[in-house]
Amino acid sequence: MAEEMFYWQALNRALYQQMEADDSVFLLGEDVGLYGGSYRVSEGLYARFGEWRVRDTPISEGSFTGLGVGAALLGSRPVVEIMTINFALLALDAIINMATKIPFMSGGQFPMPLVVRTPGGVAKQLAAQHSQRLEQTLMNVPGLRIAVPATPQDAWWQLNQAIRSDEPIIVLEHELLYFSKGEVDTQVEAPPMHRARVHRQGADLTIVTYSRMLQVSLQAAEQLSAQGIEATVIDLRSLRPIDWDSCVQSIEQTHRLLVVEEDSSFAGAGAEIIAGLSERCFYLLDEPPKRLAARELPIAYNGTLEAMSIPRPADIVAAATDLCQTKDAI
Amino acid sequence: MKQPITMPALSDTMETGHLHQWLKQPGDAIKKGQAIAEVESDKAVMEIEAFADGYLQGPLAATDADYKIGETIAWLSDTATDTENNEAIPPASEPQTARPQTAPSTETKTAEAAPLLPTVNAAAASQHKSSPYARGLARDLGISLEHIAPSADGIIHGKQVLAAALAPPQPDLKAGPPYRYKLLTPMHRAVADNMSATLQTPTFRVSSLLDLQPLQEYAKANGFSLSLLLARACALAIKKHPLFNAAYTDAGLALRDRVDVSIAVDVPGGLLTPVLRDMAQKPLADLSADWQKLKQKIARRRLQPEDYQGATFYLSNLGTFPAVSRFDAIVPLGACAILALGAAQKNQAEATLSCDHRVVYGAEAGRFFSTLQNIIKQPEGLTDV
Amino acid sequence: MDRETQLKLLKDMLLARAFEERAAEEYTKGNIAGFLHLYPGEEAVAVGVLNAAGPSDYVVSTYREHVHAMLRGISPDQVMAELFGKKDGCSHGMGGSMHLFDRQKRFMGGYGIVGETFPVATGIAYSIAMKQQPEAVICFFGDGAVNQGTFHESLNMAALWGLPVLFVCENNHYQIGTEIHRHSAVAEVYKRACGYRIPARRIDGMNVLEVYEATGQALQQIYAGTGPQLLEFETYRFRGHSMADPGSYRPKVEVEAFKDQEDPVAIAIRETLPCYPSADEISAAGPDVINKLCSQMDNLGHLDNRQLEALRSEVAQIVDDAVAFALASPEPTLEDAQAYLDCNRQQEVLI
Ligand SMILES: Cc1ncc(C[n+]2csc(CCOP(=O)(O)OP(=O)(O)O)c2C)c(N)n1
Ligand SMILES: [Mg+2]
Repeated sequence: MAEEMFYWQALNRALYQQMEADDSVFLLGEDVGLYGGSYRVSEGLYARFGEWRVRDTPISEGSFTGLGVGAALLGSRPVVEIMTINFALLALDAIINMATKIPFMSGGQFPMPLVVRTPGGVAKQLAAQHSQRLEQTLMNVPGLRIAVPATPQDAWWQLNQAIRSDEPIIVLEHELLYFSKGEVDTQVEAPPMHRARVHRQGADLTIVTYSRMLQVSLQAAEQLSAQGIEATVIDLRSLRPIDWDSCVQSIEQTHRLLVVEEDSSFAGAGAEIIAGLSERCFYLLDEPPKRLAARELPIAYNGTLEAMSIPRPADIVAAATDLCQTKDAI
Repeated sequence: MKQPITMPALSDTMETGHLHQWLKQPGDAIKKGQAIAEVESDKAVMEIEAFADGYLQGPLAATDADYKIGETIAWLSDTATDTENNEAIPPASEPQTARPQTAPSTETKTAEAAPLLPTVNAAAASQHKSSPYARGLARDLGISLEHIAPSADGIIHGKQVLAAALAPPQPDLKAGPPYRYKLLTPMHRAVADNMSATLQTPTFRVSSLLDLQPLQEYAKANGFSLSLLLARACALAIKKHPLFNAAYTDAGLALRDRVDVSIAVDVPGGLLTPVLRDMAQKPLADLSADWQKLKQKIARRRLQPEDYQGATFYLSNLGTFPAVSRFDAIVPLGACAILALGAAQKNQAEATLSCDHRVVYGAEAGRFFSTLQNIIKQPEGLTDV
Repeated sequence: MDRETQLKLLKDMLLARAFEERAAEEYTKGNIAGFLHLYPGEEAVAVGVLNAAGPSDYVVSTYREHVHAMLRGISPDQVMAELFGKKDGCSHGMGGSMHLFDRQKRFMGGYGIVGETFPVATGIAYSIAMKQQPEAVICFFGDGAVNQGTFHESLNMAALWGLPVLFVCENNHYQIGTEIHRHSAVAEVYKRACGYRIPARRIDGMNVLEVYEATGQALQQIYAGTGPQLLEFETYRFRGHSMADPGSYRPKVEVEAFKDQEDPVAIAIRETLPCYPSADEISAAGPDVINKLCSQMDNLGHLDNRQLEALRSEVAQIVDDAVAFALASPEPTLEDAQAYLDCNRQQEVLI
């Protein structure tokens, strides 16, 4: 049943499936229609569903995201594509002040089946304004759910689930993942949308990560294995809520925690992950938990500096080795 | 019927109000909307209004004190004199600055809570840092971190606690006199570990009186050490009874084709077991030279692992202590037996052979002693083989 | 217009074209990365506007700003080095193609987020106005940017307070793949200025002489303190939106209609093909806006073929030199990057 496809194709299929199944689902965003989306995610949908269901917008992020909020109030299911997360900064009022607060402020009167899809992260030399991840900004908005699919399979599952949900959800994608390939089984039942997935089991340390850093962490885990350190690699798949139990279960085995994130560390996702896990399983930790994150610098255009700015497999190997120094010592 | 008058919320940020003064007295008739008291919120001084008609009833809360929002500060009843037993104003709220006497001190609180903690206050007792996991384990297993040595990074990790949990019970020193710790030297620790490792060996002991006089004379005459001659004698006996050169392993008996005898040596702060190789074959003169070299190395603290590991048989001689008539020794791992020699009395010294019962049996030990006695009767035979 | 000025405009356009085509080539070689937005087809706008601008005017531009930067006096060497991400680039390798800056030259930056140029320019103008200087800010933006809230918010403030801004719309009819009639209810950008009482005109942006004249007039009024103005220049980009964009959403006839009919550039530049024409093909073809100016000058007897060839080889040399300079320049270090982040830190005690 499984089929190999690109990440963008998995998203494209999910959109197609949901739009076929439900007339109230519609897409909007810059160049999602005729052009098929900057990363091809909406390819073919304009031809199939027409302009009312696939709407090319002006460059008006604040207002077209707000428009999504308004449409959702009436039960439509808007899927807003913000070309990259950098432009979502202009839509934060709609996301933070409207989408999560209207259902609450009205005393629970309104549904908010809004999905905002947007890629974030460091791609290839796009310079500081186009190389951000804003998960920290979005993570501390109560009522906002954040999915961070790292594989085509998860992209398929989570976008389908997000569109079916009546709550506002950000699907945070990644420029460099769109053209990654993987098996997608469109028939198998999806796990709960926010449950973490263990990609690799090892007894020596637990690496908790998400989005593109999953791939980087898995590479590092292979190198670590060659030098005798076995890592468990957990893909959170979601940043709000966070599947604490899966992490705790692994730390029960390994007693060592390394969090790998692409965003900068100060008050970032890793800070929340470590704080949350310290609260839950402090007495399981045999070493101070570690964070690997982007440097505390805006991303430089220069390619060499860019590569040094975010965690690389070698950085993960070094951090893990350091964490595991006392693993064999009695 | 009476209802409580409570500290009202007078601003968006107010949490407590400071009661300035009462504007009415108990028994006063009050109209709805009338001011009954003056309160200072975090923003301003304001009046508390009555929300119903009635009569003010005591007890009134003390003025010049802070009260939490919702806390009862007085009562309103519908009759002028209230016969009901006035409940006292509950000092339920947490300590207020103006009422320190009601505050249970935090110290007493923790003192009360203390017995609920595990009896071993694990973290506090160790002079080393310990990881949370180590502390958690120690708490759950009821182990004191005090006796646990840290790992190389100076921190006690879970591994060390688990090892301690599996280790034999530690003495409870608290019951005895005050004490302090002297850390184990590596040699001391190694000896301790080696000895503990032999606990699994089922051992039996057989003793024999040996006539050492011929041996002593021969040693004196030729400038050999008595221990060396005795070791040589044992090696020759082993050649006749090769099981004494075997080692028990799970895979089977390890039969060794060379006899390497170790002689226990007393050194300051411990015990060393230098090994003489090929004790049954080598010319005695060479062995004597080897022995001298080993002793020099010991004196200069230059003994290497290859100098003290791998013996197939051990000899421990306390004959230099006249007070010792007999003793028995522990069979080290990797050997079948060890011979322990006491001090000679009237030329006779009592030797005790401790044997691994998984390798040899009592009768074998009897035969070994017979052979040994014969060998030491004719020391000349020790030279050439 | 005198011959010298015309020759200057021509040379600027030739350099602009040559520089951009070379940048495309260097991109395919891997020397330049990221988003590279090129300017061929639109040269007359920047060249006309910025030749009319005074030396003390400030310029705020978008991510499609290499030509604007060079016209303000940033050397092609420094611009190319920045595209290469090198330390000698005008932003020291931190900004790249979309973020050229030069404080000395009053080039106040290329901005990557659509709609950012409006408030920045308005703020610069506010500061000028407070000091009552005879200066102006020239704010470039695309047709797609006018639907961002900042456009309306900034135009309102600029008009309200009479700020010296010249808003310059480079209307190339596309917001990436979305044609102007599909993104704007009112497709004539200049009309939007009416709502804010801002004088505005629409001008043929393919004719550099007209661009130059119109800009000069507008700036004279702005210097005189009459408040902001808006000029809309109709133009067309020959390439895709950026190097990553094949531009296949545009009908080929449309692309060709914008090119000078008797000019073989229509054959040379085939945007729908993933590989772009070589530098040779392009120079052999000779370009449109540029060709237009050439024939205008020719008619006046201001230009002959020999001179044109001389100019072409002169700019080719400049571009070659720029690439050599960029290649030789060192890479910035992490310490450099940290220092740029902390450049405004004074000797304060922070903690
Ligand atoms: C706020 C924001 N939204 C989206 C983008 C992505 N984007 C970059 S350029 C562009 C089109 C801009 O069109 P226009 O303003 O006409 O300028 P042109 O590129 O045609 O010169 C878009 C949508 C962006 N950079 N910023
Ligand atoms: Mg445009």
